[in-house]
Amino acid sequence: MSRGVAAAAPRFPDPLVEERHGILARYGYRLDRGGLERDWPGMWKLLQGDFATRGRPWVTGFEQLSPRQQEAARVYMRRRLVADELLDACKQAHADLHQSGIAPELVERYAIARDAYEDAVMEFGRAREQLDTLLPKDGG
Amino acid sequence: MAKYKTYDKGDALPEDYKKALLNLMAFQADSEYAGGQRVAENMQYAPRPEEAYRLSKKVMEEFGHAYYVWSLMAELGVNVDARLRELVEHPDNPDPKKVNVINGFRRENWSPMFHDWADVGLFSTVVTPAAVAFLGQYRECSYLPWARVNVRIHKEEHGHLAFGVWASKRCIEFGGEAMRADMQSRVPKFMRMGLGFYGRPSTGDKKSQMFDIYYEYGIKVRKPEELQAEYMELVEARLKEVGLEMPRDVQPDYDMRVGYAMDNPVAAE
Ligand SMILES: [Fe+2]
Repeated sequence: MSRGVAAAAPRFPDPLVEERHGILARYGYRLDRGGLERDWPGMWKLLQGDFATRGRPWVTGFEQLSPRQQEAARVYMRRRLVADELLDACKQAHADLHQSGIAPELVERYAIARDAYEDAVMEFGRAREQLDTLLPKDGG
Repeated sequence: MAKYKTYDKGDALPEDYKKALLNLMAFQADSEYAGGQRVAENMQYAPRPEEAYRLSKKVMEEFGHAYYVWSLMAELGVNVDARLRELVEHPDNPDPKKVNVINGFRRENWSPMFHDWADVGLFSTVVTPAAVAFLGQYRECSYLPWARVNVRIHKEEHGHLAFGVWASKRCIEFGGEAMRADMQSRVPKFMRMGLGFYGRPSTGDKKSQMFDIYYEYGIKVRKPEELQAEYMELVEARLKEVGLEMPRDVQPDYDMRVGYAMDNPVAAE
């Protein structure tokens, strides 16, 4: 499978909302989906900016991280991948409501998909905090 | 004990009551959806991945709130699919004859308020508490299915307050004292909108014509004055958490209001 955004990604019925979600691709949304071999250094490049602070303006590349930091970085990136998958499920549920009409069963389905996405985003945040505590407070 | 007659799912609703009820439900549902669209627009300002994902999650929540309320309106015979379609097809300028979107959530009013991520954080810190207080009253309203849905929504809206504090604090963490001062100077512009949320006072010659009717039916259960006091308390606590001060003597902008400007209500049919 080639890299980049998979063509089969579910889409928002709202063109504007879909377009604005394009920002997630900048951080690797739908990159390397489903492959066993993951390009962690490549993915890290897109996400390492999340760890820049005033005291630590420059964040090191994946290869330069210690094993412990690398593991925490992988946890953080895996959380992101899970969030992406749940985001897609949520988009699908949303698109189906637009397609088939608003009915209680589909509304509750959407609520379940969105709850799960929400949890995943918060887990992603927690993983960031965990890795953050392992990085030096100043410099890369 | 409720001081007004309540109705549950399947009960026959008096014609005038139903009309007033659907009008407010439509305002909530259509505005929740449009609010989600506006939040999505702000994704362009997200400075980091976590910010982008957390905003995207908020988009999904707002859509979800709209679905809860639309679903109840559908039970009352409203063609809600047409409302969703109108908003999806005309996000920039939905037809006011087809949907009831609050002024503040119309794109032409919304977009000029935002220039960067600090505005996004401040909006959730300063304006969202107004929505939380305003919509919170529907938890006790006389139409019980709508009251129950708003218990659910209210819980989630509280999460949005946490988002605003988190995002604003991060801005200051990264931007330092200069950013704090900058954000402090922007607080009044958002407070004007938050204060205007409740509409004009319930007494005096500028009072809203519709308010008494809603209040008597138990569709609105709090006076604007009470809601405003609740809002001030919420916003002051949030600003303190962020490390900002509450400005005094800010005048409300009633044109951004939700809910009261319905002397010419759009029939939700
Ligand atoms: Fe909402």
